Amino acid sequence: MRDAGTARRRPLVLLAFLLALLLAWQAVWSLGWLPSYSLPSPAQVGTRLVELARDGTLWPSVQASVVRMALGFVLSLALGLALGVAMGLSQTADSCLRSLFLGVQTLPSAAWVPIALLLFGLNDAAIYFVIVMSSTAAMAIATADAIVHIPPVYLRAARCLGTAGPALATRVALPAALPGVVTGVKLGWTLGWHGVVSAELIKSSVGLGYLLHAGRELNDAAQVVGVMLVTIALGLVLDRLLFASIERRVRARWGFAPGAARG
Amino acid sequence: MSAAPAAGAAAPARITLEGVAKRFVTARTSVDALGPLSLAAAEGEFVVLVGPSGCGKTTLLNLVAGFETPSAGRVLVDGAAVAGPGPDRAMIFQEPALFPWLTVLDNVAFGLRQHAHMAAAARREVAHEYLRLVHLDGFERAFVHELSGGMKQRAALARALAPQPRALLCDEPFGSLDALTRERLYAELQELHAVTRRTTLFVTHNTREAACLADRVVVLSARPARITSVLPVVLPRPRDFYDPHVSELAREILARLRGPAIGDGRDA
Repeated sequence: MRDAGTARRRPLVLLAFLLALLLAWQAVWSLGWLPSYSLPSPAQVGTRLVELARDGTLWPSVQASVVRMALGFVLSLALGLALGVAMGLSQTADSCLRSLFLGVQTLPSAAWVPIALLLFGLNDAAIYFVIVMSSTAAMAIATADAIVHIPPVYLRAARCLGTAGPALATRVALPAALPGVVTGVKLGWTLGWHGVVSAELIKSSVGLGYLLHAGRELNDAAQVVGVMLVTIALGLVLDRLLFASIERRVRARWGFAPGAARG
Repeated sequence: MSAAPAAGAAAPARITLEGVAKRFVTARTSVDALGPLSLAAAEGEFVVLVGPSGCGKTTLLNLVAGFETPSAGRVLVDGAAVAGPGPDRAMIFQEPALFPWLTVLDNVAFGLRQHAHMAAAARREVAHEYLRLVHLDGFERAFVHELSGGMKQRAALARALAPQPRALLCDEPFGSLDALTRERLYAELQELHAVTRRTTLFVTHNTREAACLADRVVVLSARPARITSVLPVVLPRPRDFYDPHVSELAREILARLRGPAIGDGRDA
């Protein structure tokens, strides 16, 4: 059983685990199994990150990636929700789009980059395109599934209370589907983040993907690993801070979490 | 229909079923779920339909609510055929069906939106009034997951009654509650009915519940449900769940449920 004590210890356990990973990394490096140009030490990575931060390379790239992601994601979210609602409410729309979207979802984000460059040329529109193509399908499918699986009793109750037409979709179907939608949006965010970094890898002069690419060109393994760590950390922080707390609150309120009854 | 908040402003409905039958047909099979049966509930009458599990009681309510259409016969509300679900017929379901994304107050105010001319403040005021009526004042800002089972069904009752439906359809609403809560709700539902006088169709398989609540008990057969007997109940109200007359009547209902399908010759 988990109790309050283990809950308090959890951050400490995680910290200890991360420390152990770091030590293992250091040990592998110290043993010298791999040439130093392919595996940097934790200290080298740390030093390189501090340098990148000091010389003004890191921050503009973080900013560029996050801003691109935010814009692309808003676009993708709007599209994904609209298409998902259409699929959830219309059998025809679902028949047309579901297989297409499932297929699109099997493509890795990076596979969208060549066509994005051909379509949009060397500018940020290509990056937004990659984000949208990476994350919209997943969000649409999750939204459609969430709407299809709404407990029918909500819709019946609403119709008995005089709700019909578009109000049934906006005031009942969408909020009732929210837990599933939030899970889909969270997944969409992760996929979109893949998309940004993939697109920047191939075409950009600023951004986390660009820094990865530049690091490889210069055989700077410390930069490559350092920027990867920054990318992971950013993705994790945004996922935990933004979506995990929303998801938790929604699931609790919608009655998916136990122990909340007052009675 | 007036939207005035005062209870009883809209007249209760007269519900008539004429030779209604329902058959569910799928690709592989067809099931006779109901009837044919005829039944009338007078304005303000509390009719309890008792029948064995799976006999088609819920189907009957769904037909009146307009969720299903009859395979034969007609369902009439004040002489007009039911064309689909509408705010004149409120329904209380087995599960409370409250909207978890809204507070208790917003749930109760939900159905008042149909009164377009009603300002938000007025809707809230009416919702408050109905929450007081079901003894849930103080829980306006609570969310559904914070309520107990009994409180949820009370809130569902308030939500159903607030828009002043002309009929109330109850599908075993207390079935999943503990005995203590259930017995308190029998008293409260009787009080509510005395105040609001909505024509009520109440479905249950609990004979004591039927005896406690009904103006008239309609006993149904196993599927497809047909009316086997009708018992008018003349006991004074409010009735106590443990009143010996209620117990006696419950036994009588049970005997009729168990016995061979005996029509007592009375019109339903």
